[in-house]
Amino acid sequence: MKNTLLGLSCIAVVALSSCGKDKTSVQNTTVDEQEVITQFVNVVGNPNYADIQVKATALNTAIVAFLAAPTDANLTTARVAWKNARQPWEQAEGYLFGPVEDNYYDPTMDSWPLNRTDVDALIGSSDAITLTSVDALDGFSKGFHGIEYIIFGPGGTRKAADITARQKDYLKYTSESLLNTTTTLRDSWLVKPADYANEIINAGKGSTAFKTRKDLFVTIATQMAAICEEVGTGKMAEPFTERDSTKDESSYSHNTTTDFINNIQGVLNVYTATYNGAKGTTSLSALVASKNAALDTKIKTQIQTALSAMALITPTFEKAIYDNRDKISNSQTALATLQATLEGDLITFIQTNIKD
Amino acid sequence: MKKLSVIGALVLLVLLLAKCQKAAQFPADKYDERLSGGDATVFDITSHSFGNMFPALSGYDAEVHGLGDAAFSKIFVTAPAPINPGLGTIFNNNSCISCHHNDGIGLPTAGESNSSLLVRISIPGTDEHGGPLAAPGYGLQLQDKAVFGKTPECKVNITYTEVVYNFPDGESYALRTPAYTLSNLYTALSAGYMLSPRLAPPMYGLGLLEAIPESTIVAMADPNDSNGDGIKGHANYVWDVATQSRKLGRFGWKANTASLLTQVAAAYNQDIGITNKIFPVENSFGQSQYDGLKDDPELADSTLNAVRFYAATLAVPARRDVTDATNKRGELLFKQGKCESCHRQTLTTGINVAFKSVSNQVIHPYTDMLVHDMGPGLADNRPDFLAGGQEWRTAPLWGLGLFEKVNYPGYYLHDGRARSITEAIMWHGGEAESSKVFFSTLSKVDRDAMLSFLKSL
Repeated sequence: MKNTLLGLSCIAVVALSSCGKDKTSVQNTTVDEQEVITQFVNVVGNPNYADIQVKATALNTAIVAFLAAPTDANLTTARVAWKNARQPWEQAEGYLFGPVEDNYYDPTMDSWPLNRTDVDALIGSSDAITLTSVDALDGFSKGFHGIEYIIFGPGGTRKAADITARQKDYLKYTSESLLNTTTTLRDSWLVKPADYANEIINAGKGSTAFKTRKDLFVTIATQMAAICEEVGTGKMAEPFTERDSTKDESSYSHNTTTDFINNIQGVLNVYTATYNGAKGTTSLSALVASKNAALDTKIKTQIQTALSAMALITPTFEKAIYDNRDKISNSQTALATLQATLEGDLITFIQTNIKD
Repeated sequence: MKKLSVIGALVLLVLLLAKCQKAAQFPADKYDERLSGGDATVFDITSHSFGNMFPALSGYDAEVHGLGDAAFSKIFVTAPAPINPGLGTIFNNNSCISCHHNDGIGLPTAGESNSSLLVRISIPGTDEHGGPLAAPGYGLQLQDKAVFGKTPECKVNITYTEVVYNFPDGESYALRTPAYTLSNLYTALSAGYMLSPRLAPPMYGLGLLEAIPESTIVAMADPNDSNGDGIKGHANYVWDVATQSRKLGRFGWKANTASLLTQVAAAYNQDIGITNKIFPVENSFGQSQYDGLKDDPELADSTLNAVRFYAATLAVPARRDVTDATNKRGELLFKQGKCESCHRQTLTTGINVAFKSVSNQVIHPYTDMLVHDMGPGLADNRPDFLAGGQEWRTAPLWGLGLFEKVNYPGYYLHDGRARSITEAIMWHGGEAESSKVFFSTLSKVDRDAMLSFLKSL
């Protein structure tokens, strides 16, 4: 990972701090750091992880309904439910730290690519397919993309009548398994003894994960930058440079662009303490604005620029690779700019201004 | 007269130069105990602190590092497939990152998708290069996973027996002794086989360790303990497949691999089942799991080289709180306990005009790169080239304090049996016995100071 800027900015911070107090800084309003943290947890983290579980429940309900009455209409409902379930999950990737990382929920739910050869072989075999056997599969043979493969099919053209009995068994238990993982993930944030939300709220006051508040804010900013890098130079780059749409993450559902936009929406959520229409009383953005209004504007503008650039990737990412390429490269540029600002300016700001 | 003044000037010059020479005995310009990796140090304390590129890289080098980074996290799937085919057919995990989580040390479990522990196997005797002798039907490494329709070689079972001990001052600690057994063997296994569990090691600073001159490492060896300090470190010389020659071993828990290229190529082949130019034959060749496909080598040379470069250019996290009084006290105790006899603080890498980033760097890896007898408690009793059954390479301690951050909750030692730095210290034996005793007889305050120092690394 490229952290040249981070390194340089740290040196800059050290250099600056040795020059004494910055006399030009003007404090407009005081923003309580603790309140910023609490709002992040209460308005973004907790509702987001709860939402993932709610949408996975809805997906499972839609799949159960489809299995009971396998019509094209019910299949369409399941597909919509799948996309709805992707949304909160992809947004939560804007702050990929804590249990989701430590307990490997991410690879369990969202490994990519799907091991299609193995999934097809399993379905074609006479091995029992049960919840236990699906739970025991490696991440790359189940999860979101396992479900996507069955309900959308290659090219996204599968009809209800084409889905075989064995595919239905696989679908049923893969969906159940995913739902169970989202429940565990939610509980790891919200329920004692794991109670990761509490670990965050107590940053700098006895939290084992974050000895200081600075630790927490640096982690948040680092993860914001990391998802920009993952989308811009990771997920977009390979299919784009190789002009190969089979290398897209959600190519069966053509949901790739939406996934990307939701990832960066997650960055905006964290920065402005917003989720699903709810808005916190204060936020990291307000904290930055109170001491450096220009930087706050810069970050917000660059997030919007990236979101707008990605919205122009039409009709699907899979097609845009071939005939709308400048829209993809513009998005990559916008993401790289945002990433540099987060790794450079924002982390420098945190190192400079957050003392405890 | 003129001659005299010239001579006088020359004498003066010599004196001045001599004076400069004297000054050079003080810490050199580049010496800074925070900069664990010299110029290749990064200031990052987050869970991603092991995954940073050398700060000085740019342009082409940065591009190749990025390609290596992407390849490192690529998940392989069963062939045939449009993306990343070639997994297995038998393997330990499906990507580099699946074991080296966050470029760090992994989870000490086997056979799960997030497991980072693998088990080496051999039978008594040595091969034509003096290395371990492959177990018929199993090779030198157990692959405990397989693609659908193929049978894993075995299942590795790990059980722990926990015993609680007390420090002389009454504080307690627990050590869990692992036992490794095999079940579900796919075919008969010769009697007398030897197992060695190995946890995925962290990835940062490897390019710097590769750049330490062989002469520096060998100069620290004292196999016959001629200085009488009880420390008998020696180098491991191993067969390097990439260059087809005998070389100083540097990597792996027993220093059984000479170069990063061989290390990376062997991991692709043995751990993931991906053939490459250095190891073009499937790990299951000659076994019932062999795929018989004519798709070897499965990995592009450019990808192998990029991943090698990635591994060589991950920066070392800087030390924290070096001036903290407790840490200073801990550092003093670390020296008094003679921990530094093996965990050497400062080494200088060799001159390398072709790879400036690792050239002539003052680094603080806290290792001598030698293998030492660590006593029967840690022994795997499986010799690996010149490293005996009780011998292990001195683990570098740089970055140690970030293990619990990067790979929560943090595991230590070659098989992850230690769950804290305290446990890791208390597992030391053999040549390190007296250092361990030194630590255990310290007062609680001093023990904590030493741990605080170690956590600042």
